[in-house]
Amino acid sequence: MSQGPVLELRGINKSFGAVQVLHDVAFSVYSGEVTALVGDNGAGKSTLVKCIGGIHPIDAGDYFFEGEKVHVSGPRDAADLGVEIVYQDLALCDNLDIVQNMFLGRERKSGLVLDEATMEEMAAKTLDGLSVRTVTSLRQYVASLSGGQRQTVAIAKAVLWNSKVVILDEPTAALGVAQTAQVLELVRRLADNGLAVVLISHNMNDVFAVSDRIAALYLGRMAAQVKTSEVTHSQVVELITAGRSGELGIKNGNGAAS
Amino acid sequence: MMRAGPSQEEIRKHNLGTLLRHVHLGGPTSRAELTSLMGLNRSTIMALTADLTAAGLVREELPKDTGKAGRPSLVVRPESSRVYVLAFDVGVDRLAAARVGLGGVILDRRVALRQRGSFDMPQVVAILAGFARQMLRKTRPDTICVGAAAAFCGAVRKSDGVVRIGPNIGLEEMPFGEELSGKLALGLPVNVGNDANLGALAEHTRGIGLGCRDLVYLHGDVGIGGGIVVNGQLLGGFAGYGGEVGHMIVNPGGRPCACGSRGCLEAEVGERALMEHAGRGGGEAVGRDGVRSVVDAADRGDVVAQEALHGVGNWLGLGVANLVNIFNPEMVIFGGTLREMYLGSAAQVRSQINTGTLGASREHLRLRTSGLGDDAPLLGAAELAFGKVLADPLDVLSRQTS
Repeated sequence: MSQGPVLELRGINKSFGAVQVLHDVAFSVYSGEVTALVGDNGAGKSTLVKCIGGIHPIDAGDYFFEGEKVHVSGPRDAADLGVEIVYQDLALCDNLDIVQNMFLGRERKSGLVLDEATMEEMAAKTLDGLSVRTVTSLRQYVASLSGGQRQTVAIAKAVLWNSKVVILDEPTAALGVAQTAQVLELVRRLADNGLAVVLISHNMNDVFAVSDRIAALYLGRMAAQVKTSEVTHSQVVELITAGRSGELGIKNGNGAAS
Repeated sequence: MMRAGPSQEEIRKHNLGTLLRHVHLGGPTSRAELTSLMGLNRSTIMALTADLTAAGLVREELPKDTGKAGRPSLVVRPESSRVYVLAFDVGVDRLAAARVGLGGVILDRRVALRQRGSFDMPQVVAILAGFARQMLRKTRPDTICVGAAAAFCGAVRKSDGVVRIGPNIGLEEMPFGEELSGKLALGLPVNVGNDANLGALAEHTRGIGLGCRDLVYLHGDVGIGGGIVVNGQLLGGFAGYGGEVGHMIVNPGGRPCACGSRGCLEAEVGERALMEHAGRGGGEAVGRDGVRSVVDAADRGDVVAQEALHGVGNWLGLGVANLVNIFNPEMVIFGGTLREMYLGSAAQVRSQINTGTLGASREHLRLRTSGLGDDAPLLGAAELAFGKVLADPLDVLSRQTS
């Protein structure tokens, strides 16, 4: 994809009290691509994602969506733009079925009653579009699903709303090998279908297996944003652990990202 | 002698085949779309579909709901449940047979596990022919079988379908297609192709590589097979043995390979190498389960398994890097057990590719896992079997029904 980024942040600063968590962070994501967001624990990945999702207001910096400067002051704003986040806890309700979960809080109505038929059809279409074959019935309770299936439902829920950017927080953590493979393929398919996907992961194999770009955060600064085809495993590990690797990364600790 | 261009009859045959191929590969297609796809006028398309409909290869229907104004164009659908082929897949650990309908739909299938060890051709042929008979017994009388083909884990001679060598099942010079054809007794020849070649064909026509004109498909079974598609055509080589990337030497003087050489890609990356490096040689789990058990152990922090995957990933990356430099593919697809191996060692694979290839060659390279999974060789065999009916639809049909 040679077009500009669908979502771009520039000079983002964010502090919690006296602690500055994000320093002048720039971050771009592109349609049709998987951008891996990597960094050590406490590097600011979750904070950055919550700023994108409108959960944390940013202290300073610019938020561009499809080239336009926007103000995101809450999760609704982000959802209206087409930005969806799938958190690690997945936020699914065990006591509801798949369709009910996918439409939770945004149910379709026809008149006064819920339009179950339309919702089920939309859910089926979405899962079908993602070539999901692991789920047998849409009226299964989420409690009965495996970890990989839950992740699939959570991702499908994010995709359902014609979203343009989907952010996945460690989608393969706590999954077995077979289910990890399925989720990684699903992540790749989302991007191949034209979505911009942000993948937060600690697993370098997952990152290299599906990403097109890698953005490495180091102590609240964006150490580097690189194409996955231009770096090696050890360079990325250095960026994560030291903030720099050869020509890449933060120069002399002055905080300027390359 | 010079020929004065194709005759009317040849043009018609060609057009019928092309139209059928569009519907076979693209699914239900409206007449209007066919008109623009084929660059023919509407009355010609109408005549062609009428011929194919009369032959029972396609049927025409009104589309459900176009949402547009005006009279909707009729949609041409393949007669998937009526016209079918038999497809077979002979892997090291698995024998599969399927009845695949026009349009690439698997209508019925049978799978048996194969014990490793010496290859007993009469037994394998008997199992596959038995599967075919079971499936044929369940068909309706108005259905018609238009071809048969098999994917085989060995090097296959293009001209007569003889398997020349299958190093991982220990066989040489075996007229497999002829034997299976005889046992089936349907009066149909059984075309045979290399499993990875056919996997490449399937991924190219209906899998993850749809729309990619240049791709490399790597198939992990016990060994490593390869299929290379260049400008939309499968690279066959002079006699059909092209694409044997598993025997590309990546480590001169390295591990011995079943082919007799040393340091072949499959000797360094194949299942045996991974299992032995992981200290599980001769273990209980083989095939996909074996590979998964190593990836799983590595994921849980088993250092030996991690080292094994790193090593294998490095050699795999080196092999892919060579292929990328030579063929400049748009996509490299990891199928069979290589799916698990790639996902479990992608950091090494990519690092090797990123350092071992020309920047320009890898610029637009996409690395993907198989879109068809274990069915890739089987569906490729089906495509091979459909070849004849797509080349000359009416002739094949008239011969089969007579």
